[in-house]
Amino acid sequence: MSQRRPVRLVALVLSLLFASGCGVKTAGLDVRYPEVGVNRSLLASAPPRRVEILPVADRRADTKRIGIRAGGDIVTSSPVTDIVGEALVLEVKKNGHTVAAERRDVVLAGAVEEFRLDVIGGYSSTQYVGRVVLAVTLADPHSGETLLLRRYVGISRRVVEKDSDNGWRDVMDVALARTMHDFATDPELASAMSRLLTAFNP
Amino acid sequence: MVRAIPAVLALVALSLAGCASSPPSPRPAARPFDDVRRVMVVPSGGESTFAVVEYSAEPGRTFDEILKWIPWQPYQAALRPAAQLVHRGINWALEADRAATATSRLQGLSPRSVVAESVARTLDATGWFEEVQIVEREPSAEERRRADAIVRVAVPTWGLVRVRDGDAGLLSGFADVRGQMAMPGTGVVLWEESQDVTSPEQIPVDTFLRDRDFARQEMIVVLERAGQRLANELLYSRSAGR
Repeated sequence: MSQRRPVRLVALVLSLLFASGCGVKTAGLDVRYPEVGVNRSLLASAPPRRVEILPVADRRADTKRIGIRAGGDIVTSSPVTDIVGEALVLEVKKNGHTVAAERRDVVLAGAVEEFRLDVIGGYSSTQYVGRVVLAVTLADPHSGETLLLRRYVGISRRVVEKDSDNGWRDVMDVALARTMHDFATDPELASAMSRLLTAFNP
Repeated sequence: MVRAIPAVLALVALSLAGCASSPPSPRPAARPFDDVRRVMVVPSGGESTFAVVEYSAEPGRTFDEILKWIPWQPYQAALRPAAQLVHRGINWALEADRAATATSRLQGLSPRSVVAESVARTLDATGWFEEVQIVEREPSAEERRRADAIVRVAVPTWGLVRVRDGDAGLLSGFADVRGQMAMPGTGVVLWEESQDVTSPEQIPVDTFLRDRDFARQEMIVVLERAGQRLANELLYSRSAGR
Protein backbone atom coordinates (compact mmCIF):
# COMPACT_ATOMS: atom_id res chain seq x y z
CA MET A 1 0.00 0.00 0.00
CA SER A 2 2.82 2.39 0.96
CA GLN A 3 4.45 1.79 -2.44
CA ARG A 4 1.34 3.10 -4.14
CA ARG A 5 1.50 6.52 -2.42
CA PRO A 6 4.24 8.04 -4.64
CA VAL A 7 2.38 6.82 -7.70
CA ARG A 8 -0.84 8.46 -6.49
CA LEU A 9 1.05 11.67 -5.70
CA VAL A 10 2.61 11.80 -9.15
CA ALA A 11 -0.73 10.99 -10.77
CA LEU A 12 -2.30 13.86 -8.80
CA VAL A 13 0.43 16.31 -9.89
CA LEU A 14 0.05 15.26 -13.52
CA SER A 15 -3.74 15.59 -13.32
CA LEU A 16 -3.41 19.10 -11.92
CA LEU A 17 -1.00 20.03 -14.70
CA PHE A 18 -3.28 18.80 -17.42
CA ALA A 19 -6.32 20.35 -15.72
CA SER A 20 -4.54 23.72 -15.56
CA GLY A 21 -4.36 23.57 -19.33
CA CYS A 22 -1.23 23.64 -21.44
CA GLY A 23 -3.39 24.45 -24.44
CA VAL A 24 -5.04 27.64 -25.57
CA LYS A 25 -5.95 30.03 -22.77
CA THR A 26 -8.40 32.87 -22.97
CA ALA A 27 -7.13 34.91 -20.04
CA GLY A 28 -4.04 36.71 -18.84
CA LEU A 29 -2.08 37.44 -22.00
CA ASP A 30 1.25 38.80 -20.76
CA VAL A 31 1.81 41.54 -23.36
CA ARG A 32 5.20 43.20 -22.80
CA TYR A 33 7.47 45.97 -24.02
CA PRO A 34 10.85 44.76 -22.77
CA GLU A 35 13.34 47.40 -21.66
CA VAL A 36 16.21 45.52 -23.28
CA GLY A 37 14.85 46.30 -26.76
CA VAL A 38 14.48 50.06 -26.18
CA ASN A 39 16.91 52.29 -28.14
CA ARG A 40 17.79 55.96 -28.16
CA SER A 41 16.16 57.38 -31.23
CA LEU A 42 14.96 60.60 -32.84
CA LEU A 43 13.28 61.67 -29.60
CA ALA A 44 16.80 61.97 -28.13
CA SER A 45 17.61 64.74 -30.64
CA ALA A 46 15.53 67.15 -28.51
CA PRO A 47 17.37 68.74 -25.56
CA PRO A 48 16.73 66.90 -22.27
CA ARG A 49 13.30 67.86 -20.88
CA ARG A 50 11.38 67.24 -17.68
CA VAL A 51 8.27 65.41 -18.81
CA GLU A 52 5.20 64.71 -16.72
CA ILE A 53 3.50 61.60 -18.06
CA LEU A 54 -0.15 61.51 -17.03
CA PRO A 55 -1.85 58.18 -16.37
CA VAL A 56 -2.81 56.67 -19.72
CA ALA A 57 -6.52 56.95 -20.49
CA ASP A 58 -8.54 54.04 -21.85
CA ARG A 59 -10.68 55.21 -24.77
CA ARG A 60 -11.44 51.78 -26.21
CA ALA A 61 -15.03 51.00 -27.10
CA ASP A 62 -14.76 47.70 -25.21
CA THR A 63 -12.53 47.93 -22.16
CA LYS A 64 -13.33 44.44 -20.81
CA ARG A 65 -11.36 42.38 -23.32
CA ILE A 66 -8.91 42.69 -26.18
CA GLY A 67 -10.50 39.96 -28.25
CA ILE A 68 -12.75 36.92 -28.36
CA ARG A 69 -11.85 33.36 -29.21
CA ALA A 70 -14.14 30.32 -29.12
CA GLY A 71 -16.70 32.22 -27.06
CA GLY A 72 -14.15 33.22 -24.38
CA ASP A 73 -12.68 36.63 -23.70
CA ILE A 74 -9.02 37.32 -24.42
CA VAL A 75 -7.67 39.67 -21.77
CA THR A 76 -4.24 40.93 -20.75
CA SER A 77 -2.66 40.00 -17.42
CA SER A 78 -2.07 43.70 -16.62
CA PRO A 79 -4.40 46.59 -17.48
CA VAL A 80 -3.82 47.80 -21.03
CA THR A 81 -3.26 51.35 -19.76
CA ASP A 82 -0.44 50.15 -17.46
CA ILE A 83 1.26 48.25 -20.31
CA VAL A 84 1.19 51.29 -22.58
CA GLY A 85 2.06 53.73 -19.76
CA GLU A 86 5.16 51.72 -18.83
CA ALA A 87 6.22 51.59 -22.48
CA LEU A 88 5.89 55.40 -22.76
CA VAL A 89 7.99 55.94 -19.62
CA LEU A 90 10.69 53.58 -20.95
CA GLU A 91 10.90 55.40 -24.28
CA VAL A 92 10.95 58.90 -22.78
CA LYS A 93 13.66 57.97 -20.25
CA LYS A 94 15.81 56.06 -22.74
CA ASN A 95 15.80 59.13 -24.99
CA GLY A 96 17.47 61.23 -22.29
CA HIS A 97 14.46 62.99 -20.77
CA THR A 98 13.40 62.99 -17.14
CA VAL A 99 9.99 61.76 -16.09
CA ALA A 100 8.91 64.05 -13.26
CA ALA A 101 5.78 65.67 -11.88
CA GLU A 102 7.58 68.79 -10.62
CA ARG A 103 9.32 71.62 -12.52
CA ARG A 104 8.04 70.02 -15.68
CA ASP A 105 8.70 71.43 -19.13
CA VAL A 106 5.91 69.56 -20.81
CA VAL A 107 2.95 67.29 -20.04
CA LEU A 108 2.50 64.14 -22.09
CA ALA A 109 -0.93 62.51 -22.07
CA GLY A 110 -1.50 59.15 -23.73
CA ALA A 111 -4.82 57.51 -24.54
CA VAL A 112 -5.30 53.95 -25.79
CA GLU A 113 -7.92 54.09 -28.55
CA GLU A 114 -7.53 50.47 -29.59
CA PHE A 115 -5.72 47.45 -28.19
CA ARG A 116 -7.22 44.56 -30.01
CA LEU A 117 -6.50 41.05 -31.15
CA ASP A 118 -8.52 39.59 -34.01
CA VAL A 119 -8.47 35.87 -34.67
CA ILE A 120 -9.51 34.94 -38.20
CA GLY A 121 -10.17 31.23 -38.33
CA GLY A 122 -9.58 29.65 -41.71
CA TYR A 123 -10.07 25.98 -42.58
CA SER A 124 -6.59 24.67 -41.79
CA SER A 125 -4.84 27.78 -40.46
CA THR A 126 -5.56 30.81 -38.29
CA GLN A 127 -4.52 34.40 -38.77
CA TYR A 128 -3.92 36.71 -35.80
CA VAL A 129 -4.09 40.46 -36.27
CA GLY A 130 -2.91 42.63 -33.37
CA ARG A 131 -3.65 46.34 -33.40
CA VAL A 132 -2.65 49.17 -31.04
CA VAL A 133 -3.78 52.75 -31.56
CA LEU A 134 -2.26 55.32 -29.21
CA ALA A 135 -3.13 59.02 -29.13
CA VAL A 136 -0.45 61.24 -27.62
CA THR A 137 -0.95 64.87 -26.61
CA LEU A 138 1.86 67.23 -25.63
CA ALA A 139 0.69 70.18 -23.56
CA ASP A 140 2.23 73.26 -22.00
CA PRO A 141 2.19 72.74 -18.20
CA HIS A 142 1.56 76.42 -17.47
CA SER A 143 -1.08 77.44 -19.97
CA GLY A 144 -2.50 73.97 -20.63
CA GLU A 145 -2.29 74.71 -24.35
CA THR A 146 -2.05 71.66 -26.61
CA LEU A 147 1.28 71.76 -28.44
CA LEU A 148 0.90 68.58 -30.47
CA LEU A 149 -1.60 65.77 -30.98
CA ARG A 150 -0.44 62.61 -32.74
CA ARG A 151 -1.83 59.13 -33.30
CA TYR A 152 0.38 56.08 -33.64
CA VAL A 153 -0.99 52.84 -35.11
CA GLY A 154 0.86 49.55 -34.76
CA ILE A 155 -0.50 46.48 -36.56
CA SER A 156 0.95 42.99 -36.71
CA ARG A 157 -0.26 39.98 -38.72
CA ARG A 158 0.69 36.34 -38.36
CA VAL A 159 -0.61 33.07 -39.80
CA VAL A 160 -0.27 29.96 -37.66
CA GLU A 161 -1.21 26.35 -38.26
CA LYS A 162 -2.07 25.76 -34.60
CA ASP A 163 -3.86 28.13 -32.23
CA SER A 164 -1.70 29.13 -29.24
CA ASP A 165 -1.62 31.80 -26.55
CA ASN A 166 2.10 32.39 -27.21
CA GLY A 167 1.25 33.27 -30.80
CA TRP A 168 -1.40 35.74 -29.57
CA ARG A 169 1.03 37.40 -27.17
CA ASP A 170 3.79 37.70 -29.75
CA VAL A 171 1.43 39.42 -32.21
CA MET A 172 0.38 41.95 -29.56
CA ASP A 173 4.01 42.48 -28.45
CA VAL A 174 4.98 43.32 -32.05
CA ALA A 175 1.98 45.63 -32.54
CA LEU A 176 2.88 47.50 -29.34
CA ALA A 177 6.57 47.69 -30.30
CA ARG A 178 5.70 49.15 -33.71
CA THR A 179 3.48 51.78 -32.05
CA MET A 180 6.25 52.78 -29.65
CA HIS A 181 8.91 52.84 -32.39
CA ASP A 182 6.71 55.17 -34.46
CA PHE A 183 6.37 57.37 -31.35
CA ALA A 184 10.13 57.47 -30.74
CA THR A 185 11.00 58.21 -34.39
CA ASP A 186 8.34 60.85 -35.02
CA PRO A 187 10.14 63.99 -36.28
CA GLU A 188 7.17 66.21 -35.36
CA LEU A 189 7.25 65.01 -31.76
CA ALA A 190 11.02 65.55 -31.54
CA SER A 191 10.59 68.98 -33.11
CA ALA A 192 7.84 69.97 -30.64
CA MET A 193 10.02 68.83 -27.74
CA SER A 194 12.93 70.87 -29.12
CA ARG A 195 10.85 74.05 -29.44
CA LEU A 196 9.78 74.03 -25.79
CA LEU A 197 10.76 76.98 -23.65
CA THR A 198 12.10 76.01 -20.28
CA ALA A 199 13.05 77.80 -17.11
CA PHE A 200 16.69 77.33 -18.06
CA ASN A 201 16.17 78.26 -21.72
CA PRO A 202 13.53 81.03 -21.84
CA MET B 1 8.04 1.45 -8.11
CA VAL B 2 10.05 4.12 -6.22
CA ARG B 3 12.73 3.83 -8.93
CA ALA B 4 10.23 5.10 -11.43
CA ILE B 5 9.76 8.39 -9.58
CA PRO B 6 12.73 10.26 -11.18
CA ALA B 7 11.46 9.34 -14.61
CA VAL B 8 7.95 10.56 -13.76
CA LEU B 9 9.34 13.78 -12.26
CA ALA B 10 11.32 14.32 -15.48
CA LEU B 11 8.06 13.92 -17.37
CA VAL B 12 6.44 16.54 -15.10
CA ALA B 13 9.36 18.92 -15.70
CA LEU B 14 9.08 18.39 -19.43
CA SER B 15 5.35 19.08 -19.43
CA LEU B 16 5.98 22.28 -17.42
CA ALA B 17 8.60 23.35 -19.96
CA GLY B 18 6.01 22.88 -22.65
CA CYS B 19 3.63 25.23 -20.83
CA ALA B 20 6.24 27.99 -20.39
CA SER B 21 5.98 31.06 -22.56
CA SER B 22 8.39 31.00 -25.45
CA PRO B 23 10.64 34.05 -25.74
CA PRO B 24 9.65 36.61 -28.36
CA SER B 25 11.00 35.80 -31.80
CA PRO B 26 14.53 37.21 -32.19
CA ARG B 27 14.84 40.47 -34.08
CA PRO B 28 17.33 40.71 -36.91
CA ALA B 29 20.69 41.96 -35.70
CA ALA B 30 21.57 45.63 -36.21
CA ARG B 31 24.76 47.51 -35.43
CA PRO B 32 25.04 51.24 -34.70
CA PHE B 33 25.40 53.41 -37.80
CA ASP B 34 25.35 56.96 -36.41
CA ASP B 35 28.21 57.87 -38.77
CA VAL B 36 26.20 57.22 -41.95
CA ARG B 37 25.51 60.60 -43.58
CA ARG B 38 24.90 59.91 -47.27
CA VAL B 39 22.29 57.28 -48.05
CA MET B 40 21.25 55.82 -51.39
CA VAL B 41 17.83 54.10 -51.53
CA VAL B 42 17.42 51.46 -54.25
CA PRO B 43 14.19 49.61 -55.15
CA SER B 44 15.22 45.99 -55.65
CA GLY B 45 14.11 42.40 -55.27
CA GLY B 46 12.30 41.72 -58.53
CA GLU B 47 8.58 41.56 -59.22
CA SER B 48 5.96 41.80 -56.46
CA THR B 49 3.10 39.32 -56.32
CA PHE B 50 -0.39 40.71 -55.75
CA ALA B 51 -2.50 38.41 -53.58
CA VAL B 52 -6.07 38.41 -52.26
CA VAL B 53 -6.05 36.44 -48.99
CA GLU B 54 -9.44 35.74 -47.43
CA TYR B 55 -8.75 32.84 -45.01
CA SER B 56 -12.15 31.43 -45.85
CA ALA B 57 -13.23 28.39 -43.85
CA GLU B 58 -15.74 27.46 -46.57
CA PRO B 59 -16.41 25.15 -48.34
CA GLY B 60 -14.06 23.02 -46.17
CA ARG B 61 -16.27 23.16 -43.06
CA THR B 62 -19.32 22.10 -45.08
CA PHE B 63 -17.36 19.15 -46.50
CA ASP B 64 -16.45 18.16 -42.93
CA GLU B 65 -20.12 18.25 -41.91
CA ILE B 66 -21.03 16.03 -44.85
CA LEU B 67 -18.22 13.60 -44.07
CA LYS B 68 -19.52 13.19 -40.51
CA TRP B 69 -22.65 11.52 -41.93
CA ILE B 70 -20.64 8.74 -43.55
CA PRO B 71 -20.96 5.83 -41.12
CA TRP B 72 -17.70 4.03 -41.93
CA GLN B 73 -14.53 5.50 -40.43
CA PRO B 74 -12.20 4.16 -43.18
CA TYR B 75 -14.25 5.97 -45.86
CA GLN B 76 -14.24 9.18 -43.80
CA ALA B 77 -10.45 9.01 -43.41
CA ALA B 78 -9.96 8.34 -47.10
CA LEU B 79 -12.22 11.19 -48.23
CA ARG B 80 -10.92 13.88 -45.86
CA PRO B 81 -7.67 14.63 -47.81
CA ALA B 82 -9.71 14.85 -51.00
CA ALA B 83 -12.10 17.33 -49.33
CA GLN B 84 -9.13 19.44 -48.20
CA LEU B 85 -7.75 19.47 -51.72
CA VAL B 86 -11.09 20.54 -53.19
CA HIS B 87 -11.37 23.29 -50.53
CA ARG B 88 -7.91 24.61 -51.38
CA GLY B 89 -8.56 24.37 -55.11
CA ILE B 90 -11.85 26.33 -54.95
CA ASN B 91 -10.37 29.09 -52.77
CA TRP B 92 -7.20 29.27 -54.83
CA ALA B 93 -9.28 29.72 -58.01
CA LEU B 94 -11.47 32.43 -56.41
CA GLU B 95 -8.51 34.35 -54.97
CA ALA B 96 -6.45 34.00 -58.16
CA ASP B 97 -9.36 35.39 -60.20
CA ARG B 98 -9.69 38.43 -57.91
CA ALA B 99 -5.91 38.94 -57.84
CA ALA B 100 -5.80 38.90 -61.65
CA THR B 101 -8.57 41.54 -61.83
CA ALA B 102 -6.82 43.69 -59.23
CA THR B 103 -3.46 43.38 -61.00
CA SER B 104 -5.01 44.70 -64.21
CA ARG B 105 -6.42 47.70 -62.27
CA LEU B 106 -2.98 48.45 -60.80
CA GLN B 107 -0.95 48.22 -63.97
CA GLY B 108 1.91 50.70 -64.08
CA LEU B 109 2.15 50.99 -60.31
CA SER B 110 5.55 49.81 -59.04
CA PRO B 111 5.23 48.79 -55.36
CA ARG B 112 8.96 48.82 -54.67
CA SER B 113 9.37 52.30 -56.18
CA VAL B 114 6.54 53.73 -54.05
CA VAL B 115 7.99 52.09 -50.92
CA ALA B 116 11.53 53.26 -51.74
CA GLU B 117 10.34 56.86 -52.24
CA SER B 118 8.52 56.75 -48.92
CA VAL B 119 11.62 55.36 -47.17
CA ALA B 120 13.76 58.14 -48.66
CA ARG B 121 11.23 60.85 -47.66
CA THR B 122 11.00 59.55 -44.09
CA LEU B 123 14.78 59.36 -43.67
CA ASP B 124 15.22 62.82 -45.15
CA ALA B 125 12.63 64.38 -42.79
CA THR B 126 14.71 63.49 -39.73
CA GLY B 127 17.59 65.80 -40.64
CA TRP B 128 19.99 63.05 -39.53
CA PHE B 129 21.41 62.59 -43.03
CA GLU B 130 23.26 65.05 -45.27
CA GLU B 131 21.95 63.42 -48.40
CA VAL B 132 19.22 60.87 -49.09
CA GLN B 133 19.14 59.93 -52.74
CA ILE B 134 16.83 57.52 -54.54
CA VAL B 135 18.02 55.67 -57.65
CA GLU B 136 15.61 53.61 -59.73
CA ARG B 137 18.27 51.15 -60.97
CA GLU B 138 21.19 49.38 -59.36
CA PRO B 139 23.90 52.08 -58.84
CA SER B 140 27.24 51.86 -60.65
CA ALA B 141 30.51 51.40 -58.76
CA GLU B 142 31.21 55.12 -59.10
CA GLU B 143 27.76 56.04 -57.70
CA ARG B 144 28.14 53.58 -54.84
CA ARG B 145 31.43 55.20 -53.81
CA ARG B 146 29.58 58.49 -53.23
CA ALA B 147 27.30 56.92 -50.58
CA ASP B 148 28.07 55.85 -47.00
CA ALA B 149 25.32 53.26 -47.12
CA ILE B 150 22.90 51.72 -49.61
CA VAL B 151 19.38 50.84 -48.51
CA ARG B 152 17.75 48.19 -50.71
CA VAL B 153 13.99 47.87 -50.53
CA ALA B 154 11.91 44.92 -51.77
CA VAL B 155 8.18 44.15 -51.76
CA PRO B 156 7.79 40.38 -52.25
CA THR B 157 4.01 40.42 -51.69
CA TRP B 158 1.25 42.99 -51.57
CA GLY B 159 -2.48 42.85 -51.90
CA LEU B 160 -5.65 42.55 -49.83
CA VAL B 161 -6.18 40.52 -46.68
CA ARG B 162 -9.08 39.79 -44.31
CA VAL B 163 -8.29 41.24 -40.88
CA ARG B 164 -11.57 40.62 -39.05
CA ASP B 165 -13.78 37.58 -38.78
CA GLY B 166 -17.27 37.97 -40.18
CA ASP B 167 -16.72 41.21 -42.10
CA ALA B 168 -17.82 39.76 -45.43
CA GLY B 169 -16.61 41.77 -48.39
CA LEU B 170 -14.30 43.99 -46.36
CA LEU B 171 -10.54 43.57 -46.72
CA SER B 172 -7.47 45.63 -45.88
CA GLY B 173 -4.52 46.51 -48.07
CA PHE B 174 -1.20 44.99 -47.08
CA ALA B 175 2.43 45.01 -48.16
CA ASP B 176 5.10 42.62 -46.92
CA VAL B 177 8.36 44.54 -47.28
CA ARG B 178 12.06 43.89 -46.75
CA GLY B 179 14.87 46.37 -46.23
CA GLN B 180 18.63 46.04 -45.96
CA MET B 181 21.28 48.68 -45.34
CA ALA B 182 24.81 47.78 -46.45
CA MET B 183 28.12 49.61 -46.75
CA PRO B 184 29.36 50.01 -50.31
CA GLY B 185 32.81 48.58 -50.91
CA THR B 186 32.77 46.12 -48.01
CA GLY B 187 29.20 44.86 -48.31
CA VAL B 188 28.90 44.87 -44.52
CA VAL B 189 25.22 44.66 -43.60
CA LEU B 190 24.38 47.37 -41.03
CA TRP B 191 20.67 46.69 -40.73
CA GLU B 192 18.09 44.23 -42.01
CA GLU B 193 14.36 44.08 -41.40
CA SER B 194 11.14 42.53 -42.70
CA GLN B 195 7.77 44.08 -41.96
CA ASP B 196 4.20 42.95 -42.53
CA VAL B 197 2.38 46.22 -43.03
CA THR B 198 -1.41 46.37 -42.97
CA SER B 199 -3.72 49.28 -43.59
CA PRO B 200 -5.67 50.31 -40.47
CA GLU B 201 -8.78 50.69 -42.63
CA GLN B 202 -11.02 48.08 -44.25
CA ILE B 203 -12.36 48.63 -47.75
CA PRO B 204 -15.08 46.92 -49.82
CA VAL B 205 -13.34 44.46 -52.12
CA ASP B 206 -16.02 44.86 -54.84
CA THR B 207 -15.36 48.60 -55.11
CA PHE B 208 -11.63 47.93 -55.17
CA LEU B 209 -11.99 45.53 -58.09
CA ARG B 210 -14.38 47.81 -59.98
CA ASP B 211 -12.86 51.27 -59.48
CA ARG B 212 -9.33 51.65 -60.87
CA ASP B 213 -8.62 55.05 -59.27
CA PHE B 214 -9.89 53.90 -55.87
CA ALA B 215 -7.74 50.76 -56.04
CA ARG B 216 -4.58 52.66 -57.00
CA GLN B 217 -5.09 55.31 -54.33
CA GLU B 218 -5.69 52.71 -51.60
CA MET B 219 -2.59 50.71 -52.52
CA ILE B 220 -0.40 53.82 -52.78
CA VAL B 221 -1.45 54.75 -49.22
CA VAL B 222 -0.56 51.24 -47.99
CA LEU B 223 2.79 51.21 -49.80
CA GLU B 224 3.69 54.65 -48.44
CA ARG B 225 2.80 53.45 -44.96
CA ALA B 226 5.03 50.42 -45.55
CA GLY B 227 7.94 52.66 -46.55
CA GLN B 228 7.46 54.84 -43.50
CA ARG B 229 7.26 51.77 -41.23
CA LEU B 230 10.46 50.31 -42.68
CA ALA B 231 12.27 53.64 -42.36
CA ASN B 232 11.09 54.06 -38.76
CA GLU B 233 12.58 50.67 -37.86
CA LEU B 234 15.83 51.69 -39.56
CA LEU B 235 15.89 54.94 -37.58
CA TYR B 236 15.08 53.08 -34.38
CA SER B 237 18.07 50.78 -34.92
CA ARG B 238 20.50 53.62 -35.71
CA SER B 239 21.97 53.73 -32.21
CA ALA B 240 21.18 50.11 -31.35
CA GLY B 241 22.71 49.05 -28.05
CA ARG B 242 24.13 52.49 -27.19
